[in-house]
Amino acid sequence: MKKVFLEGAISSAFIADSIAKHQSKHSIGAHNIFLGQVRADEVGDQKVVAIEYTTYEEMANEKLHEIREAAFEKFDLTCLHIYHSLGTVKVGEICIFVFVSSPRRKQVYEATEWLVNKVKEEVPIFGKEILDNEEHQWKVNS
Amino acid sequence: MITINYFGNIAEAAQSDSETLDLKSVSLEDLLSLLDTKYGISKFQFQVAVNRKIISTKQGLSLSDRDEIALLPPFSGG
Repeated sequence: MKKVFLEGAISSAFIADSIAKHQSKHSIGAHNIFLGQVRADEVGDQKVVAIEYTTYEEMANEKLHEIREAAFEKFDLTCLHIYHSLGTVKVGEICIFVFVSSPRRKQVYEATEWLVNKVKEEVPIFGKEILDNEEHQWKVNS
Repeated sequence: MITINYFGNIAEAAQSDSETLDLKSVSLEDLLSLLDTKYGISKFQFQVAVNRKIISTKQGLSLSDRDEIALLPPFSGG
């Protein structure tokens, strides 16, 4: 089972290191990366300052495994990586990192979009939006 | 023992992430009705997973000892 969940924000050093690790895979000709960043949504007079993520980890890992398998069947990919934060991620920080690699360019765009949609729709992850008055609301994906 | 896991706003209402109920067998419908009496869960939108698979609450499922139930509010990853 590939590790997906990371505690806290996903750092730019982690992302850079992930890219560097692929330099030894010489069949790859194209990478595509999606990074989701926590946005300071306005909620009435308040603003979102952070999101606290929780998950049903056993079910999420099973679902992510199915999504990975389906992606490899559907697209011509060399490798793919999905990382998602748990715990607190502040506004401006990265909470999801999807990284797709293929011999050629066309497939990576489609695969990235497909994967991000699948993670948002099918993986039991829950975001609690913390507001600047310390109240909160539960995030709803639009 | 049936384990029930709560998430998001339902975990807040239940003031817990998880509990076990000493039930040998119960229908899913009766369990949800019991949880509604305890925590008022019917005011929330949620899906139900049994042993980590989402199931239809309309299919008249009967639960057995050691089943793991989860009440899942709308997913909001990413």
